[in-house]
Amino acid sequence: MIDKRLFRLPGTKKLLLMLAGLTLLQAFVVLFQGKYLAEALVNSWEQKSLQTIVMPMILFAVAFIFRHVFNLINTKIVESYAGKTSENIRSQLLDKVYNAGPEIISEEGTGNLVTSSLDGIDLVENYFKLIFTKLMNMSIIPPVLLIYIYTQNIASGITLTVIVPLVILFMIILGLAAQSKADSQYAQYTILSNHFLDALRGLPTLKMLGLSKRYAKNIYTVSDEYRRRTMNTLRIAILSTFALDWLTTLGIAILAVFLGLGLINNSFPLFPALVTLILAPEYFLPLRDFSNDYHATLNGKNALNSIFEILDRPTTDQADDLDDFTWDKDSTVEVNNLQFTYKGVGTDDVSLDIDHLKLSGYQRIGVIGKSGSGKTTLIRAIGGFLIPDHANIKINQQSVANFKQANWQKKLTFLPQSPYLFAGSIAENIAFYRPKASLDDIKKAADAAGLQDFINTLENGYETQIGEGGRGISGGQQQRIMLARAFLADDRHVLIFDEPTAHLDIETEYALKQPMEKLFQNHLVIFATHRLHWIKEMDYVIVMDNGKIAEQGTPDELSSHNGAYSKLIANMRGDQL
Amino acid sequence: MNFFKTFKHDTWVKPYIKQYKGLLITALILGLLTSFCAAALMFTSGYTIDKAATHPVNILLIYVPILLTRAFGIGRPVFKYIERLKSHNWVLRVTSDLRTRLYKTLESDASFFTEHHKTGDIMGLLSEDISHLQNLYLRTIFPAVISYLLTLIGSIALGVFNPSFGFFVFLLLFLEVFVVPLISVSVESARRAYQKSVKSDLYVQLTDNILGVDDWVISGRKNDFKNLTAQNITNLDTSQNKSKAFRRNRDFVLQLIFAIMIICFLIFTNLTMTHDQEQANFVAAVVLAVFPLSDAIIPVSQGFEEWPLYKDSIDRLNSIKPVPNTLPKQVELNPADFESLKINNITFEYDSNSPILIKNFSQDIHRGEKLALLGPSGIGKTTILQLILGDLRPQQGQISINGFDISQVQANREQLFSVLNQKPFLFNTTLINNVRLGNEKKSDAEVKKALERVGLKDLVESLPDKYETLVGENGSRFSGGEQERIALARILLQDAPIVLLDEPTVGLDPITENDLLETFFNVLSDKTIIWVTHHLQGIKHVDHVVFMNSDKIEMEGAPKELYQTNKHFKELYQMDQGL
Repeated sequence: MIDKRLFRLPGTKKLLLMLAGLTLLQAFVVLFQGKYLAEALVNSWEQKSLQTIVMPMILFAVAFIFRHVFNLINTKIVESYAGKTSENIRSQLLDKVYNAGPEIISEEGTGNLVTSSLDGIDLVENYFKLIFTKLMNMSIIPPVLLIYIYTQNIASGITLTVIVPLVILFMIILGLAAQSKADSQYAQYTILSNHFLDALRGLPTLKMLGLSKRYAKNIYTVSDEYRRRTMNTLRIAILSTFALDWLTTLGIAILAVFLGLGLINNSFPLFPALVTLILAPEYFLPLRDFSNDYHATLNGKNALNSIFEILDRPTTDQADDLDDFTWDKDSTVEVNNLQFTYKGVGTDDVSLDIDHLKLSGYQRIGVIGKSGSGKTTLIRAIGGFLIPDHANIKINQQSVANFKQANWQKKLTFLPQSPYLFAGSIAENIAFYRPKASLDDIKKAADAAGLQDFINTLENGYETQIGEGGRGISGGQQQRIMLARAFLADDRHVLIFDEPTAHLDIETEYALKQPMEKLFQNHLVIFATHRLHWIKEMDYVIVMDNGKIAEQGTPDELSSHNGAYSKLIANMRGDQL
Repeated sequence: MNFFKTFKHDTWVKPYIKQYKGLLITALILGLLTSFCAAALMFTSGYTIDKAATHPVNILLIYVPILLTRAFGIGRPVFKYIERLKSHNWVLRVTSDLRTRLYKTLESDASFFTEHHKTGDIMGLLSEDISHLQNLYLRTIFPAVISYLLTLIGSIALGVFNPSFGFFVFLLLFLEVFVVPLISVSVESARRAYQKSVKSDLYVQLTDNILGVDDWVISGRKNDFKNLTAQNITNLDTSQNKSKAFRRNRDFVLQLIFAIMIICFLIFTNLTMTHDQEQANFVAAVVLAVFPLSDAIIPVSQGFEEWPLYKDSIDRLNSIKPVPNTLPKQVELNPADFESLKINNITFEYDSNSPILIKNFSQDIHRGEKLALLGPSGIGKTTILQLILGDLRPQQGQISINGFDISQVQANREQLFSVLNQKPFLFNTTLINNVRLGNEKKSDAEVKKALERVGLKDLVESLPDKYETLVGENGSRFSGGEQERIALARILLQDAPIVLLDEPTVGLDPITENDLLETFFNVLSDKTIIWVTHHLQGIKHVDHVVFMNSDKIEMEGAPKELYQTNKHFKELYQMDQGL
């Protein structure tokens, strides 16, 4: 019932020991609470004076208070454990994202990762809070009470012992029935439950089609259908809680009747009967608590699972052994026999198989190909974001196993299709690679990227805050901020572009050409694109097809014959005016 | 106190309490009966035992309490079961009404979508708000009402025997179900709001961490990467620990008050019910009956804790107002008679504070003409389409169709205009249902014909479920280009004379784009087309191209002519074509 991986989290064993001790204490105070209450009640029943019940009453109150003090301590240590541990997991996740994030993202998509680390952690914390206390209560309190009840009245002990397996059996049977009923309706059910959101999001479309007024009726009908189905499922789904309730309350009722009959037959005095009756609800309480929170724990368990899956991914602990070097006009990178296959599912990108590729000096290298031909995969491999299964790579004559080398990545500037701007000021975003850069340097870089005019129109200038993902800044200006970033990082001499202008309108693209060409100078440029005009700026072109290099050479060489290059260009260009 | 203020002008919670009154009262009574049975079970059990301990001569004397014990033992779970069903049923019924109302409200306000276009997933938020209201009823209102009723009934019942003791117990219960929950809300509200804002900051930062991880790795700034979130995590922890401590202490205090109440019952019963054996037999009964009440009373405060969450939802829903219909008298315009669309010197701004978006824009479009509209993003190209549709109104100038103002043809607008967006919306149902939305009167054969014309026949027939294939959430089963084609088939069925294309090919690769544009202009050859686009791919298909910039039309004309006469256009075109 407890995931074994939980034990490898720091502090779990200690927590369990402390909880066990506390819960045992709690079990005894619950027992005393019942015992002294029964004593007081018996004395009142015997019509004794108030003085005779003062002592039991005080002891009852003390036991009651201690019970809740222990409960308070229990909650406190569990909550502090849950808080610490989930923070610990969050930190581990961040480390993992930093060390292997680009690979995980390439293979699993960003969505999954964001959900696990953001929403998942809260669910996990809640799971920790519930699971330990409830399990501990369930395994310690009832047995202690039961032993005491056996010493008081054997028949009651047996009754209570017998009911528990019955409860569990019923809950399992009914739980399974509900599950199979819910499963059989699941697909329909999700459609119905998402129908409303679907309709809201599609409202503009419905309006365009002239259906929106009539559709209001449909909203009600579908929602009501959803209600009908939910009620049908619920009727069965909550049967298991009903069974638990029914058996436990009936257990108490049966117990009361047995005890009453026993008392009439004079088999035992009032006290054992009363104390048994008082303790019976306490005996069932942990079981009921556990079943109430069962669903909450399930969600947490699933979240924890998916987090563990990410944490347990093997980190490619490839040697990061590239010595530091300077990229200049004589530097070279040689790639031979590189293979890469995506392991994850849900990705459209193809695998990579490169025979030979050489990049040198301040070359400008264009990478072109249809969508899905492996352009992006190649570029990400060169950037060190993907670890090839196999490759012979030489950077400045030094052999390395992959491009995930700190001293290589220190030379790179990466400009993706949708640049990612961070929540912060424009200046901070420009200075991303050189956080300590002076404002003057930042201004010079912004000027080179053609940002000056735009920034001058802003009330707060360089201190203007941008939202996450560059919210509030147009696509063209976002790209210019990225360019300024590259201008500022003048110690990075390798530029990698991944379709930087694909989403821009033609005039913005036109205006960006000038600063970009300036940036190209004294840089090795690797430029994946399907915009034809960039090819004219390149010295060398790689044509990708199905994960392989179909052709490579200078644009002139390639256009001189009717090969993959010429065919691709003709297809991309379409008919002309 | 914000708690009462929120409800003062509320129209999303209060009115619905009255709705389906019968069902609501049933649910509440059942909830009350559940608690009553729980207490009565302990009462009769206690009495049975006490009575039996007096060794009555006749077993029949405890026969009635035994019978009642069994009845209450069965009654409690049964009532609880039915209560849960009834309350869910009531809430879901109200939900259906709330949804319909939210839908109708939004439907009445076409500009809502454009204004909220940029602020994330407003629809998701609103839809969640409705679920929050469900929880407000189930977790807060119902338990609170039931506990109030129990408090009243219990204290009155006691008051009948002993008015002063009844009043005393009422005060204790009042503390538990009313005073402490309200204190709880007022202490925690500010803290919860603070936690929410820190949390959303944290959300932003973690998204930055994950989506920007490529840049972080290259930058080598590992410490900054981790420190980005550290401060907020510490702040959040500190505040959350305070909340947790408050909650623990509050629950402890609630239990203490409960303990005081039990002690009072012990003393009260000892003092007043020990005059003869028959009375004394009720002592255990009365005291034990109090215990199960804690199940109904202690959780009330927890239910109130989520109030800040509900408050946001209630406030947001109340802020959406239906827009009264201010359209002029409508005219019937036969689509076949459409001749021209005139945009006459329009000026538009969203509100008086924002800059003027469109200045003195004019165009004359005749039946069958194809027009392309280009310009940087944010310049108002999409806004022009909304103005043409009549969803937005220009501050100056007029848009007219066959001489009628555009606001006069809104009643049957769908017969005149079709729209195809960047991301066409597909409903999560079958393919054929999605296409048929274009015109629900069309036969299966006609729908299939439309899919054939947009070039999807082979693809669809190769799928296992063919035309009955589910398109998935937002059409995710199909690629971007395929989604455009599905939406195009829908437009073919709609068969309106004017088609507005709003950057339908952005983000597609040039080969897919070429194929798609080829199909568009081919199947829509007899329509009037206004096409917003961001580059010049496929520009040969149009008769007229208009370049807008922030304050005027930069250039316009037939593409071929412009190519020959306009240097800038020529440069752009050559760049686009890589010539």
